[in-house]
Order: sequence, then structure tokens, then C-alpha cells
Amino acid sequence: MVPYETAAAAPPIPIGNPPASSSSSSSNTIIPKPPEIDGLLAGAGYKVRSSDLRHVAQRLERLETAMLNSPSQQLSLLASDAVLYNPSDLSTWVDSLLSELNQSQSLPSLPSDLSDLMSNPTALDGSWMDQQLPPPTAAVHNQQPPQLTVVTAVEEDSGIRLVHMLMTCAEYVQRGELALAGSLIQDMQSLLTRVNTGCGIGKVAGYFIDALGRRVFAAGGGGGVPGGSAYENEILYHHFYEACPYLKFAHFTANQAILEAFDGHDCVHVVDFNLMHGLQWPALIQALALRPGGPPLLRLTGIGPPSPDGRDSLREIGLRLAELARSVNVRFAFRGVAAARLEDVKPWMLQVNPKEAVAVNSIMQLHKLLGPGSPGDPARPAPIDAVLGWIRSLNPKIMTVVEQESNHNQPAFLDRFTESLYYYSTMFDSLDACALQPEKALAEMYIQREICNVVSCEGSARLERHEPLANWRERLTRAGFRPLHLGSNAFKQASMLLTLFSAEGYCVEENEGCLTLGWHSRPLIAASAWHAVAETAVGAVSDVPVVGGVVL
Amino acid sequence: MPAASRNSIGGGGGGRGFGINDDVDILTEVLKRLDGRSLCVAACVCRLWSSIARNDSLWEELCFRHVSPGARPVVVALGGYKRLYMVCVRPVLKRLALARPRVWSPVEVQLSLSLFCVDYYETLAGSGPPSSLLFLCNPVNV
Repeated sequence: MVPYETAAAAPPIPIGNPPASSSSSSSNTIIPKPPEIDGLLAGAGYKVRSSDLRHVAQRLERLETAMLNSPSQQLSLLASDAVLYNPSDLSTWVDSLLSELNQSQSLPSLPSDLSDLMSNPTALDGSWMDQQLPPPTAAVHNQQPPQLTVVTAVEEDSGIRLVHMLMTCAEYVQRGELALAGSLIQDMQSLLTRVNTGCGIGKVAGYFIDALGRRVFAAGGGGGVPGGSAYENEILYHHFYEACPYLKFAHFTANQAILEAFDGHDCVHVVDFNLMHGLQWPALIQALALRPGGPPLLRLTGIGPPSPDGRDSLREIGLRLAELARSVNVRFAFRGVAAARLEDVKPWMLQVNPKEAVAVNSIMQLHKLLGPGSPGDPARPAPIDAVLGWIRSLNPKIMTVVEQESNHNQPAFLDRFTESLYYYSTMFDSLDACALQPEKALAEMYIQREICNVVSCEGSARLERHEPLANWRERLTRAGFRPLHLGSNAFKQASMLLTLFSAEGYCVEENEGCLTLGWHSRPLIAASAWHAVAETAVGAVSDVPVVGGVVL
Repeated sequence: MPAASRNSIGGGGGGRGFGINDDVDILTEVLKRLDGRSLCVAACVCRLWSSIARNDSLWEELCFRHVSPGARPVVVALGGYKRLYMVCVRPVLKRLALARPRVWSPVEVQLSLSLFCVDYYETLAGSGPPSSLLFLCNPVNV
């Protein structure tokens, strides 16, 4: 996605250098500086004042159109005969070139799209300056009809514009200037009609504009996630499971680690923080059935939201898993724990037997505990610490943690917005490469809900507080856990899983004993394994044990 | 019923020598050595061959029996070797662009069995055909 990569490479423009094109009031509220030379262009050898950026951009564009439309003879005259002074001063150089061209022909009238581009002050904040500018000697364009090149420039340009408008809008939201943000959202929505929203930057931008709109226009601040019954969530989750490999990677990697940790134990107990349809567990049951020495007694405790209509969905899943376990001759017992939030679960509900080996499995659940928690008693520990505390008290043999690899929990809204724009664009790119049609649309809805939650919710409503692996490492170490390295079997299994998936851009990487799955070298999901250290031994842990491989 | 099979089941005498359909055990041994596609074709020849081809042990040869002999009860419980082959092994081989006579690595065996198990689990749900393995059947997007 070329337009977006350009923007991602130059985030400092909206944040660092106050863009000349955003409303002049913004420059005044920031500490006034002397008219300064734009830093990025100075690095390329051009001296342009930041305040002149928009003017120069407009002129360059007109120059391009003029060059495209002028006969080649005149261009060669321009290249060889024109005398231009001081090309590093872009502003005057462009003006002089334009006047040279003007002498022989009048400038063509610009297509309405381009003139719209120039009249919209918020859009052109140096977007043209991101790309490497051509050297002053005019490059004669080849014989493409001018119409075509202008159209594609507008398409690509619209994508770049959208991204810059999104960033500017997010900045307004952060500063509390909701009226400006609102009008910008309306501009973006009209620009969306001119962009291809079927794929690429148009599609992602559409979702983010929608989420920003919910935030800005919702009465009482903090727009809600669209729809959202638990049943719908399960369906979307299932389609997300089928359309792309992230959840399969999570399940198989966690299962491999749990299988290795349970080696030699005859009574094992798995606690699943989010049962959903229980898609993770058939593979573990089958692997336990085939392990040398025979299967253990397996207990599974599945945590899930209570079902509103009286159906005991947890029990139904449990029955299905029990039937599968029975057919492969694995002794199995299931218990369901219905809880609206993970912090409502108390360890006694899990009924852990001290003699059994316990595995705790959390697939994208721990980040929901990073919110402010229930207000009231300031002496109570934060939800994440409370939950990690009771997990530790269970003394699990292994805790598998899979989380999104991105920081969507920074205090500043603009930082969160920027990071999530990059993250979800990459994820949508990877989804585009998968061909399963009906699953893809519903998988996109699943991702859209996450985006809405990250962008438009706040406080305790904002559950999707993703944090990167480094943060989780630190937090879990502080809570008394030590890492277990995922062995090479897990890596091989993940690699093979990816070869089976049709798209070629996925990559598995090993990161200090943890595995990450990403798209084109951008990790999107990280899997890690931990175990609790006994209280007395906290200071004495030296080696990190590598979980041995059990090969079937 | 096609003429050839009727003649041979009725008795191969009359100076015609041995017919392939005379001895079911020999026929089974022969069919056991076929590759997947040929076995599917053989199953369409006549009712006798079709019933032999339905014998799950023929399909076991095509899957990775030699790597994981203890897996048989599990595979049978999850739907049998023929289903394992059609739903899992054949797409995997195709996707990995491999010829049949090769050594399966333990990781490949385990992953294929895991995928097969998820597929079986979905049939238990009874809500439409299982879809978790659909990703295996899509053309490679290069």
C-alpha cells in the first residue's frame, strides 16, 4: 500500500513541524517560532519555509500539469535555454519556471478535483513533500495522455490525503476541538466516495472515519461498539478464525506448549479464559490421546460470558468436547464458569485440585484487564494485578499468553490512533490476500469492532488495550512469572501452518523464546508461555528452562 | 451391473484363466498400492471395486501409517482414513506440492491430525458442513 507507507514514514509532519496548511489558529496556539525552514526538505537540499509549503506544493502541481500539456519542443527549450537561479530556493524556482511556461501558453484549467485539493487548507499539509522531489532538470514525461496520469495521481493522492486528514482529525480530537474534527470527518466522508473502498487504504480509512465519527458525534462522549451480543461475537470470531491464520496460530502454538508442559502428568487441568466455541481444544485432546504412555485425565474449565437467553452455551460446548474426548478415549471433565468480565472470576470457582498440573490459557484476554477497573475503592489493586495474583496462587505449570503485538494503550489519543492505523492497515492487507469470500467480510466486521473500541471508546468501555510483548514481559515478570521458551516444535508447526495458508506474506519469527506471527515482517500477534516461580525461589532463578519436545 | 464383473463373479471357468475379480483379497492387495487419484478412479469401476475401495485400510496406506502406527484408533474415531485423506492429507500434499511416496515429519503428522480433529469437532456441532479446513482448498495466491 504505497500511499500509506509514505505517510507512515513521515509521522513527524503532523506532530513535530506544525503543518503550514492546518488552520492558522493552530500555529498560534503552539509556541510561536520564527518562520523556519522545513526540516525534511532541508535534509534533501531544498530551502523552503514551512509557511510556504502549501504555496510551493500548489505551484509544483501546476507546473507538472503545464509540463504534461506543453509540447516537447518547448520543454526541451525550458531544459536547456532557461536560466534559473538558486534552485534550492524552491519557492522562487517554481515560480520562475511557471512564468517561463506561461510566456508561451496559458495554463490549462485544472480539473475540478485538483482545484478542490488546493482550496482545502487542511488536506495539503506538505503531503507532496514526503516523496523525493525530482531534481531541477525537467524530466520530460513520456507520451502518456495527460488525462490518465492526472487521474491516477488523484487516486493515489486521495489515499495520501485521507491518511493525512485522519491524522489531523485525530489531533483535533486530542486537543478537544470537536467542531473542527467533525467538519473534517464530513470532508473525509465526501472524499471517500472518490476512493476505491473495496480494498487498500480506502477500506481501512472508511472504518477509521466511521470510528472517529462515533467518537465525535456520539452524545455523551464515547461511542459504543456497533451491535455486540455475545452470540454475534462468537459468529464473527469463528469467521475470523477461518479467514486468516492468527487464531489458528495462537491455538496450535499454545497447545504445543501445554502438551509439552503436561508431559509426565496424569491429572491435568486447563483453564481457558475465553471458551467461545472451544475450537482450540479438540487438537489438544487428540494430541493427548496419542501421546506415548497414554492420555491423562483431562479437566477443562471454560470461562465465558453468560448467555442472555437462558441457553447454557458453555455447557453445550462442554458436551461437544466431551463427546469428542469419549470417541478418542480420553477421560474428560468439563466445567463452565460464566462471568461477564475476567476480573469477576474468583479462583475458588475453578476448583483446582492441588495434585493436578494446571495450565492457564489466555488468548487475547489479558489486555481487557488494563482498564481503570471499577471505581470506588482506591485501595483495591488494579484488575490486571488482581487476576495475575490469583493465577499465580494456582501455581500453574504453564500459562500461555497470546496478545496483539501493538501498543493501543498509550495515554495520548493521537499516539493510539496512529499506531492502530498502522496495525490494522497491515492486518487488512493480510486479510485481502486470503480468498475465502463470505468469511472475509465477516472477519472484517470482527476487526472493525476492535477498531471502534480502540478509537471511539474511553474509560472502562475501552477494552481493547493492546500492549506489545515487551510490556507484557515486564508486567508478568513483576507479577512473579518466568518465561518458558517455546521449543522448536512449536516453531516448525507454526511454519507449516503458514505454508498451508494460501497467502505468501505471513512470517513466523522467534523473539527470545516467544513466537510472533506477522505480515511482511510486521509482527501482528505474539505468543508466549510462562510459569509461576515459587515465592522463596524468586531471587534464585538462574536458567530459563526450555520446554522439552515430545514428538508423537 | 457392468458385463465384465458379472462374468467373473459367476465363475472364471471355461478356459478363461484367472480374472482380477475372482479373489477379493488379491484385488484388495493390488488396490492398496494405488495412489489417491487412481484409487478414487478405481472406486468408480464397478460395485465390487467400489465396496473394496470403501475399506478404510486401503486409505491408511495413503496416509502416514508408518510414521504413527498408534494413531489408528484415533483416526478411526475421528472419521476414518478415507476422510482423513480426502479432507486433510490430499489438500496438504497438494499445497506442499509433494509426491506421495515420501517420509512425513512428525510435525506434519501432528498438524494434519490436529486439523482433522477440528474438522470432526465441527461436524459434531451439526450446523452445516465443517468449514475450518476450507482454507486448504484455495488456490495458492502468489
